Amino acid sequence: MTVFGLTMVTEQALANDAEQADELVLRLQRADPSAVAEVYDAHHAAVRAFAKRLLGDAASAEDLVHEVFVSLPQAVRKFRGDSALRTFLISIAVNHARHHVRAAQRRRRAISAYGETKLQESSDPEHEARRKELAELLSRALDKLPIDQRVAFVLCEVEERSSQEVSEIVGAPEATVRTRLFHAKKKLRLALTTEGIG
Amino acid sequence: MSKDLLDEATVALRETEPVSEFEARATRARVMSGLHQTRVKRRTRLAFLLPLAASFVAVSAWGAANGKARLVQDILERLVGVTVTTPSRAPAAPKRHTAQRPAVAPSSEPVQIAASPVTELLPVPPSAIRPASPAGSSIGADSASEHAERVDPNLVLYRVAHAAHFVDHDPARALAAWDAYLRAAPNGEFAPEARYNRALSLVRLGRSAEARSALEPFATGAYGNYRKTEASALLERLAP
Repeated sequence: MTVFGLTMVTEQALANDAEQADELVLRLQRADPSAVAEVYDAHHAAVRAFAKRLLGDAASAEDLVHEVFVSLPQAVRKFRGDSALRTFLISIAVNHARHHVRAAQRRRRAISAYGETKLQESSDPEHEARRKELAELLSRALDKLPIDQRVAFVLCEVEERSSQEVSEIVGAPEATVRTRLFHAKKKLRLALTTEGIG
Repeated sequence: MSKDLLDEATVALRETEPVSEFEARATRARVMSGLHQTRVKRRTRLAFLLPLAASFVAVSAWGAANGKARLVQDILERLVGVTVTTPSRAPAAPKRHTAQRPAVAPSSEPVQIAASPVTELLPVPPSAIRPASPAGSSIGADSASEHAERVDPNLVLYRVAHAAHFVDHDPARALAAWDAYLRAAPNGEFAPEARYNRALSLVRLGRSAEARSALEPFATGAYGNYRKTEASALLERLAP
């Protein structure tokens, strides 16, 4: 009985969530600013983290995040509710990312040229420096990949998403995603070895 | 070795320090500002375009209802600086008119060739013949055709000319009306019929030279076999 009661409550909650999500999507389609603000507050961290990992530059990532949320009312017209809204937001970011990749590369080169990178204060400065160096190295190696392979690597390996989810995000079959990932990793290993860090 | 390094680098990239709250808030403000600007732009565009579109529709409707579409068209041509062509259902290419044409377009006047004086070649159409609308439907009977005429002012012009020619038997007024129709729709669907009837009006007014030059294209087959025989017979009679 209790189990049955719990099931009822869960179903009711799920139905309410679905209704709220539908209403939110409708408000987004009407370009309701409060709806965009609501979605931003709920999902900006995920979109920003992906943008930062993909582009390797904070300023470019902020530009991409801005673009994703400004274009959301227009883009959400294609949203059919097949995937989570967060997944949909990441797919918008993927579609807009290629415009930001070059800008991010230029910025990172400029920053490293002027030595403006600052180490975060940490309890283990040596470890922090190593981590920072590796992240920077991987970002540079990612620059050498085609955008599709780059996206596949960041989504699958860095963000640890399933190939099914990545397939939904990029709009390509899972097999294609796995192939892209395979080639991406091969090229990245080669690039890291060539850099001579290990 | 390199595999381990890749894994290590991947973890390092995953653990990249989060963006500060300040940057997140700044981007949020940019997003809201961007959305606001988009809305303002859309509203401005609507505020500008809607009255313009409404005015255009109102003026067009007024022009069509009052038969002043030609005037409206002239004004538009002057304002926009582009030639506005009135759409016609079948742009007339003279060569396309074949022998089948008279069978479907009975609104040009039939001609008897047997009698010798020229005036006898221009019989008054029997009263049983309706002052047919160009589309072949009865006047005022079909609300759909009335609607079509409201939309296409050229058909109104054609009907005026048709009435002057076939109902009032006033060749001078008919000639002016055919000219008006042909000015408005020189390549209109009923342009060949209008040209032929215009030629007949000229014959009736005794303006033989003009009538001859108007009939020539029909006799020489510029409109296929359409009124070719009748035009040739008339030309023979009109020969100086």
